[in-house]
Amino acid sequence: MSTAAQSRIVPYTFVLPALILMFVILLAPVIVAAILSFTDYGLGNTTVSWVGWENYEKIFKRSHYEKMMTATLLYVIVVVPVSLGLGLGAALLINSLRWGGDIYKTIYFLPVMAALLAMAIVWEFTLHPTIGIINDTLTSYCDVAWLRSWEWYDQGCKDTFPLWLGDKRYALWTLCFIGIWQAFGFNMVLYLAGLTSIPRELYHAAELDGAKSAWDRFRLVTWPMLGPTTVFVVTITAIRSFQVFDTVEAIFPDSGGPAKSAYVMMFVIYEKGIKHNLIGFGAAVTMLFLIFVLIMTFIQHRLVDRRTHYS
Amino acid sequence: MIGSQTNLGEALKHLVLILGALTVILPFYVMLSYSLKSPSEIERNVGGFVGAQAPMVDERCVKLNEPGKSEIAAAKPRFAGRSEREIKEKLVEELRQKCTMSPVVFNYSKAFSEAPLLRYLLNGLIVTLSIFFIQVLVALPCAYALAKLQFWGRSFVFGLVIFCLLIPVHAIALPLYIILSKAGLTNTYAALIVPWTISVFGIFLMRQFFLTVPDDLIDAARMDGMSEFSIVWRVMLPTAIPALLAFAIFSVVAHWNDYFWPRVVITGNRDLFTPPLGLREFKGDADGSFYGPMMATATIIVAPLIIAFLLAQRRFIEGITLTGMK
Repeated sequence: MSTAAQSRIVPYTFVLPALILMFVILLAPVIVAAILSFTDYGLGNTTVSWVGWENYEKIFKRSHYEKMMTATLLYVIVVVPVSLGLGLGAALLINSLRWGGDIYKTIYFLPVMAALLAMAIVWEFTLHPTIGIINDTLTSYCDVAWLRSWEWYDQGCKDTFPLWLGDKRYALWTLCFIGIWQAFGFNMVLYLAGLTSIPRELYHAAELDGAKSAWDRFRLVTWPMLGPTTVFVVTITAIRSFQVFDTVEAIFPDSGGPAKSAYVMMFVIYEKGIKHNLIGFGAAVTMLFLIFVLIMTFIQHRLVDRRTHYS
Repeated sequence: MIGSQTNLGEALKHLVLILGALTVILPFYVMLSYSLKSPSEIERNVGGFVGAQAPMVDERCVKLNEPGKSEIAAAKPRFAGRSEREIKEKLVEELRQKCTMSPVVFNYSKAFSEAPLLRYLLNGLIVTLSIFFIQVLVALPCAYALAKLQFWGRSFVFGLVIFCLLIPVHAIALPLYIILSKAGLTNTYAALIVPWTISVFGIFLMRQFFLTVPDDLIDAARMDGMSEFSIVWRVMLPTAIPALLAFAIFSVVAHWNDYFWPRVVITGNRDLFTPPLGLREFKGDADGSFYGPMMATATIIVAPLIIAFLLAQRRFIEGITLTGMK
């Protein structure tokens, strides 16, 4: 073979392994899921039949899948803005400190490094109704009069404090709290990076134009300049929150929460598709999930595009 | 006046941040504290952070090593003239002494003896490192070709990479699981590793990095008669070390901590459990008195990355937030 022909082949040998793996591992499964979502397939079944939209109809008609949608969306709608707000707040505070900022940065980033499964189990103990440190601490301040004037607290002292993860009114909110606890340090770091890239002159210019208060400076300079960071933070946090699984499976392995209050999508895919071998149905949930992710990424791209045109 | 006001502001900021820090640290405190304390201290919520460390008897150890007939017979010469029951009592007493230890030792030794924790840690290491090396092996040549070589279909391949960035691997777990199980690969190391061998993000990242490498460097290498293959591994790889290091951290942290995927593909075989899976199994088995060892297990699993992070914070933050570069 001539060297010219060889050099024409070389690029293909370089991209071929990646190309094959992309097809087999990423694209083929999407197609497989799309097809299976219209069947009643299960591993080991001898017959497979085409069931049309039945699996999708189930998702929208049965009450516990309604709970799945509610739990998943509620989780995302709570975790995304709160972890964004806390991340931004922490970044602004740390950035404006004269000293000591690095210590907080380190501490707030710790949950990002720790295995969420392990920390979910630890939180479960921390929030344990009888031996947990939280309810124990709450009970120990029951003789403080001004705290008792808070109705919720008074009720807790008279009766019992919430079971948190064991109570359907609190379970999902508690999971949201753990999710926020884990995610906001990541957002903080992204915002800190965003803050350092804002040119100082912009603040001076804003001041000359009459932006006197800190709020004005934030509204006119900081927030718009952090736009791209915010778009990214929202997308990545939303996609990750949609995928919440570790905390739910660790704490509610058999049920998806009291009264299925934490019956999130990834847990359903795992429970129905893998544990119960209802692969057709699991595939339908998978497709729905992918559509959600696609929509979010699409919105992100639109927002980023508009910003670039704007600037 | 202004000075004192800003000092007050500064103090308030610290106050808010300290409250936040305490909330963030709380579970780490609980985890470490429970891993040090005795079961009764955990149950009654006493003993502060480290507990009293009063020696405790490990009842399981006593039960497991209860002296049988042969031990009693063997001990006869030591207790001449005593009845068998008396000898047994003496032996049990000795045994209780031997099974007495401080709660820390109890918790951490149980973490390793009740479950093959070392094996889990080794599996975690094998899986995370294999994933990273294969990712680099696949991504680097592809990224080089996309950045520096001209070929028909290049923009198609790059478009495909961008498209695949949209697909979260966890989301397609179910069809992947079916494909793997049809191939007879569930409950193998391959099942843990194969789905992660392609990192489109890695390809994208390295391509962006290679675009900044001057063409002159590559041309000079070609003049020296280097093949494209050795250019990738002997010229491009060394220039890419900082980016690769960041990617390594990103990849290793994600897969050491991953729980979902191992849960899906490893069903029964404990020999293949990764650390999070092992901890989860420990929780499933645990009865009332085993909170301590369980928290010790959690501490051991979480510690390597936390320690590495504390030692090289800047690099870790860079690596974990790599996704921000998209």
